Amino acid sequence: MALFEKYMLMTRGFQNVVEDGKTVGFQIKIRITYYRGISLAVINGLEVTVDGKKYLPEQLRFSTGGHTFTLEEMGREEKVRWPFGEPATLTVLEPEGLKPGLHEVKLEEVIKPPYMPGRGFVAQFTRKMTLVA
Amino acid sequence: MAQQEKTGLKRGVTLYSYQEEFYTRAMTLEDCLAEVASMGADGVELLPEQMVPDYPNPSQSWVDQWFNWLDKYHLKPVCLDTFVDNTWGGHRVMSLDESVETLVMQMKMCNRLGFKMMRPTTGHDAAPEMMLKAIPYAEKYEVKIAFELHTPVTLGSKFIDNYLGLIEKTGTRHFGFTLDLGLFCTRVPRIVSDYHLRHGASEEVVRYAIEAFANRADAQTVDAEVKKMSTKEIDHMMAMFAYRYGPATNDPRDLPYIIPHIFNIHGKFYEMTEEMREYSVPYETILPILMEHGCAAYINSEYEGQRWTQNVYDTDSCEILRRHHLMLKQLLGEN
Repeated sequence: MALFEKYMLMTRGFQNVVEDGKTVGFQIKIRITYYRGISLAVINGLEVTVDGKKYLPEQLRFSTGGHTFTLEEMGREEKVRWPFGEPATLTVLEPEGLKPGLHEVKLEEVIKPPYMPGRGFVAQFTRKMTLVA
Repeated sequence: MAQQEKTGLKRGVTLYSYQEEFYTRAMTLEDCLAEVASMGADGVELLPEQMVPDYPNPSQSWVDQWFNWLDKYHLKPVCLDTFVDNTWGGHRVMSLDESVETLVMQMKMCNRLGFKMMRPTTGHDAAPEMMLKAIPYAEKYEVKIAFELHTPVTLGSKFIDNYLGLIEKTGTRHFGFTLDLGLFCTRVPRIVSDYHLRHGASEEVVRYAIEAFANRADAQTVDAEVKKMSTKEIDHMMAMFAYRYGPATNDPRDLPYIIPHIFNIHGKFYEMTEEMREYSVPYETILPILMEHGCAAYINSEYEGQRWTQNVYDTDSCEILRRHHLMLKQLLGEN
């Protein structure tokens, strides 16, 4: 099934991250592949692959509503929510980030509410996006 | 405009039906309410985690606006659909007290938004204990719990008997059911099998799964058989998804024993033909039985086809809901 898969990767916010004059990674804005907003702990998986390179969980950061979390911290976060249809920012810590140009970005999101069997709602989508800056 | 007092089954919409247009910002909440009213329906079911900003605490100005809209479009808030994520995504299990606290918070939200009924969804195993403990609060906050009977629940099962027992044991008038009409699928929705075929499922497996479902084979048999026929994951998924509908052994004629406890109805649908009929759910059989036994609940249309068609054609929830409501109007004998 496709629960908003085609909408989950956004172009706005696809950019490198610069800290103290150094490029420390890149960011993507993503939306939820579920029909409601949820507390972060209900997310059971986030995986990013860019141009065939699959990133490790430790290399990812998730930001929403002004807070930033590691994937591990998200698993314990029962108060902060990812609202339905709202972009969250996924930061990938990749020294020197990505070169401007076309990149193939693949995202997997797993949402596990208590009534769904197995892994829950598993969504995967690949989008070719141009990094401008 | 004076509102006629309606008896018997009434027409509404769960705004869940407009999820895609709301998500893409093609429609606002007000647009959804306007669509409902434009079909002559007057009942609204809402998922606050979907359409209410700053859940669970929307601003007072938002709440005031909500009531203004209900007034402007002559709509009644019928049921609030809530969730208790008691397994926290597999990370931690809520205690019974925490679960009940969550339900109480949601009942207070019902009070705030004008809903006298709530449909809480949670893990199957935790639900009976949670509901039992919640009943005194439901009575205190005057919110009826309309617990959902959703596929793959079967009529006549112990699952339902347990809840009937709960009602009898407590004597409460604040616990009943939301009947989801997807329970009565006589065949696998075409959009489901089409999706699997598009994604590489073998025609042979799909044909077998569709026939087996219609012939009332049980899920385990079909699952085992498909695993013998094919090693492809997409074929196994077809077998599994076929049984997230119905099962076809659910017969509307077996409804009478629960009709006194039906507080709310989800008018589930996946595909409306141009002849104004649902491809898998026999509304023309179900509605007369409900009417005959004096059911006076709202049928809140619940469109759930988008997830199977989103990646092949543009969703038009508004149009498909209009077909559903024309069908309901005709079957309910409205003029």
